[in-house]
Amino acid sequence: MRISASSIPASTAPPSDTVAPASPRSLLGRPRLAGLGPHASDALISALSVLSIIGAWYIGSWTMSERVLPAPHIVAEVLYQAMRSGEIWLDIGITLGRILIAFTIAMTVAATLGFAMGLSHGASVFFRVWIVCFITIPALVIMLTCYMVVGLNDKAAILGAAIPIIPILAINIRDGVKGIDPKLLGMAKAFRASRYQRIFEIVAPQIAPILLASARFGLGLIWKMVLFAELLGRGDGIGYKIEFYYQMFNMKEVLAHALSFLVVMLFIEVAILGTLEKRIFRWRSQ
Amino acid sequence: MSQIVLSNIRKEFGGRRGARSWTALNGVDLSIEVGEIVGILGPSGCGKSTLLNIVAGLDNKYEGQFTIQGKTIEQQIAAGFRVAYVFQEARLLPWKTVRGNVEFALKASQFPVSEWRDRVDRVLELVELTKFAEFYPQQLSGGMQQRASIARAFAIEPDILLMDEPFSALDEMTARHLRQSLLNIWSAFRTTILFVSHNAIEASFLADRIMIMGNGPGGTIREEVSMAGVQRPRSYEDGDLFEKSKAVVNALRNHSGRADLVLA
Repeated sequence: MRISASSIPASTAPPSDTVAPASPRSLLGRPRLAGLGPHASDALISALSVLSIIGAWYIGSWTMSERVLPAPHIVAEVLYQAMRSGEIWLDIGITLGRILIAFTIAMTVAATLGFAMGLSHGASVFFRVWIVCFITIPALVIMLTCYMVVGLNDKAAILGAAIPIIPILAINIRDGVKGIDPKLLGMAKAFRASRYQRIFEIVAPQIAPILLASARFGLGLIWKMVLFAELLGRGDGIGYKIEFYYQMFNMKEVLAHALSFLVVMLFIEVAILGTLEKRIFRWRSQ
Repeated sequence: MSQIVLSNIRKEFGGRRGARSWTALNGVDLSIEVGEIVGILGPSGCGKSTLLNIVAGLDNKYEGQFTIQGKTIEQQIAAGFRVAYVFQEARLLPWKTVRGNVEFALKASQFPVSEWRDRVDRVLELVELTKFAEFYPQQLSGGMQQRASIARAFAIEPDILLMDEPFSALDEMTARHLRQSLLNIWSAFRTTILFVSHNAIEASFLADRIMIMGNGPGGTIREEVSMAGVQRPRSYEDGDLFEKSKAVVNALRNHSGRADLVLA
């Protein structure tokens, strides 16, 4: 999975070993807060980490003009106003909708490809060229091509955001599928376990963490892609708003909109994926 | 009539795409009575695990005859014949508790759900894991995990139990304890056991008969050592056992083609 590192934004962590995805993956360099639990020292370190980010932002804002890099409290104030007046919610909703559809498409296709490549040598050889091609084409080119081919509409935006992610996730899932323990399958065979038992009690529990790790990784990538696609060819959504305010040299609004989505994604990461992870790995935490 | 009869078994690996083929087994004859414990002893690479996989019905690409009470293994399994396996590693499902792991085997052998609880409790008691029924494998030591895997094997009341170097990953004291408890369980079930080992002392302690295989390629049974003279229940301090195991070590040394071989 090292190939993808060059084609994705530097802020996303590379996927960990897909067989053991329990390691916390940070989103935008922030520690995942789901793992706080009973470990007070972890909580302390996490708090320090958040404070250090805000501190770095303050230091940056002091060295530069407020028009270039406004301080965190100013941005927070702008965001608060936008949330109170309600106008930002519509854009958040639109962008979130696009993210969810693009993510569903990307995960479905990537899972299909990943499983095919992990299980069949022929499929692995056949799709290798496809994967290399699509991982090499810059996301920008894919999005522009989508807008040209499909038209300047939501379908093109969603496709343009989903396609660049698919090869990366497919490789991730393929490696995970290859990592399924053949010894446990051998055990199941020796005890004459039925196909149903092999799929649901041997394979599925090993696949679930792979899919979860890929989902988390994919979500981190896809929201940046959607923002990018909106910036290029849509007239609404957070990405468009960021572009709009950038053209107006209004960095307060640019950062406030970015911050709004950081909060939304952090919520998805901690509340939804974190909970899911805990459920799946109940046996690990015992 | 013997329960299991293997005659003139030959097994070749590879040979595809111009690769050189490897004859793992050549001319293996072996018959096992019901309730007997037979050990296959030999140097690594002599084909003993291959032989075990053939008896387990996991490998059916071989030449020669292999029958269980006159029928093929496929026919026997269709008629309800049960094979259990203990591997070198415990091979427990980490996402299931000890109870869940034993139930996995019961489900695979299609025991009715209503019997699961009693059966699991019984085998866990025999391997002294009653208190750990609701524990996950990773919470147990290696020896306890292997005991759980032995419990899983006996839970289905197998017609034959196959073991592939079941104690070789454990330290000697744990292994001794487990061999002892294996024999305790065996005396409750009287299951036919075929196992593979490279440890002469272990094989002597467990088996009624030991088959000594020569070096590969083309591994075959070179010598049979009967342990019938050693009384059960067995003890490591038994003088007869010690004498017999020396004979086994000697035989193994003669047939492994390495006079300098030192065996633990």
